[in-house]
Amino acid sequence: MEKRLKNIILEHSDEIIKKWLEKLDQSKIAEYGETISQESIEQTNREFVNVIFSNIESDGGTDDLHEFSEKIVNLGWPLGYLTEGMQAFRSVTIKVILEDIGETNSNDEFLSIMEGVNDWVDPIKNRLINEYSHNWTNIVSLQKVALQELSAPLIPVMEGITVMPLVGTIDTDRAKLIMENLLNGVIKNHAEVVLIDITGVPVVDTMVAHHIIQAAEAVRLVGSQCILVGIRPEIAQTIVNLGIDLRNFPTKSSLQKGFRTALEMTGAKVVSESESEGDEIENILNSIEKE
Amino acid sequence: MKGTLSNVPIAKELDIVGARQTGRNIANDLGFSSVDQARIATAISELARNIYLYAKKGEITFQQVEGVAPVGLKIIAKDNGPGIKDISKSMIDGYSTSGGLGAGLPGVKRLMDDFDIMSSDEGTTIHVIKWLR
Amino acid sequence: MRIPILKLHEYLLISVQVDLDDQTAMQFQEDLLSKIHESGATGVVLDLTSVDIIDSFIAKVLGDVVSMADLMGAKVVFTGIQPAVSMTLIDIGIHLQDVPTALDLEQGLIKLRRELEEK
Ligand SMILES: Nc1ncnc2c1ncn2[C@@H]1O[C@H](COP(=O)(O)OP(=O)(O)OP(=O)(O)O)[C@@H](O)[C@H]1O
Ligand SMILES: [Mg+2]
Repeated sequence: MEKRLKNIILEHSDEIIKKWLEKLDQSKIAEYGETISQESIEQTNREFVNVIFSNIESDGGTDDLHEFSEKIVNLGWPLGYLTEGMQAFRSVTIKVILEDIGETNSNDEFLSIMEGVNDWVDPIKNRLINEYSHNWTNIVSLQKVALQELSAPLIPVMEGITVMPLVGTIDTDRAKLIMENLLNGVIKNHAEVVLIDITGVPVVDTMVAHHIIQAAEAVRLVGSQCILVGIRPEIAQTIVNLGIDLRNFPTKSSLQKGFRTALEMTGAKVVSESESEGDEIENILNSIEKE
Repeated sequence: MKGTLSNVPIAKELDIVGARQTGRNIANDLGFSSVDQARIATAISELARNIYLYAKKGEITFQQVEGVAPVGLKIIAKDNGPGIKDISKSMIDGYSTSGGLGAGLPGVKRLMDDFDIMSSDEGTTIHVIKWLR
Repeated sequence: MRIPILKLHEYLLISVQVDLDDQTAMQFQEDLLSKIHESGATGVVLDLTSVDIIDSFIAKVLGDVVSMADLMGAKVVFTGIQPAVSMTLIDIGIHLQDVPTALDLEQGLIKLRRELEEK
């Protein structure tokens, strides 16, 4: 039975392909035509049907299923293209087989044809769906990595002072990454003061504020200090309305103002007292040698 | 791939250090970042110390597991001690029956991804997992 | 195991080079306090660059030593806490709010001097 159906399908492949392509044109898939060229749709359709046939011939187990669904994902076409395509294929095939066998009034025969066709349409359909969603998950996680990479740069402005501009939405995963970048950068640049600029953060809710406070505390533990800058009026409002306590570290409305504070925090020391401090350390170092 | 990687008995104070070093090495082998290694080692330290302080002896088991991520490190801290009288209280920051900071258990929960605790008057078993991302 | 405590003028310098177990930490607390007592030191720099785990117990011992030293008139500054250690401490909810910190030994000495002058 199995074999017989397969032979009928392969013998009538030209007819099936023709009918299938016609059916696709009538169906919803044609709607993508508004944004995608007719040519590209036709080409993809032909590829689709080739993939189906090569899977029937080889009884599954070909790599082109994988490649094809990857292509559909990359084109940005919906999963519906694949499922509707397989549905159309199923009904066209059943029709062609029935026509070939000729009149049959046996329900049993009809059912067994249905079953036979389903038996190999369904695995192909399932594999396409699996591959599609697998590819899609891959793309999402790749995009996430890409986003993270550009998420939290650290800019050493001058000796002892580093700026970290935050742009975009902050979720828990990103907050962890930001914290790691921040602390490693503090050590690497030997930053006594870090200015965290939140001008580019659209929403500061309790969760975001919590992450920022934690980052600032962690920065303090490694021996540096944070100044939070870029606090827009609406953010000041939400911070106070939500009862978020930011008193433990300095905040400034703009990067410029924050930078001035940072200079005072480091500069006062470096400029006006540097000589006496140099002596101090020298004394200590000298005495280490003596002991 | 899966299965128990190591088993460290806790009976004396120095075993706490041994357990967390074992844990750190395993975490390193599995590919965890240095920050996650510190988180894992610290969590082990808390669990092992609780065993030593409150149950006198027990053991820490390390397993490689699969789940929401392909690789996870599962740590099981098991003892046959007196059990935790009030589990929900023990999970509150600052709750301690011994004058500690009480940061241990709630801290472990924050350090790891999954946290599971079972305790009766026959002992305490705590399962925690960190997933490799 | 004992952690060596170095004396420099009115300061004590400690660089922790071992994995801190409970016993060593307690012993250190005792040693430092008696050293402060006998030397009359006014400042202490505790360098933690080589420490890769601080759990809640060690954090409590170290935090306590700061308050105890304070009672005896000596200011303690922690230096060199590693990023991974810092993040872990924040995760378990230990902020060491009252402990002054600095990036390294040199900054620690500068900070001590400034804090002591302010008094
Ligand atoms: N294995 C255990 N067996 C019995 N009781 C336990 C066990 N682990 C924890 N507990 C109980 O739960 C309480 C909370 O534990 P947790 O580790 O959070 O704080 P702590 O050990 O008291 O202080 P810290 O860990 O901050 O030094 C403990 O005080 C103890 O009463
Ligand atoms: Mg504890």
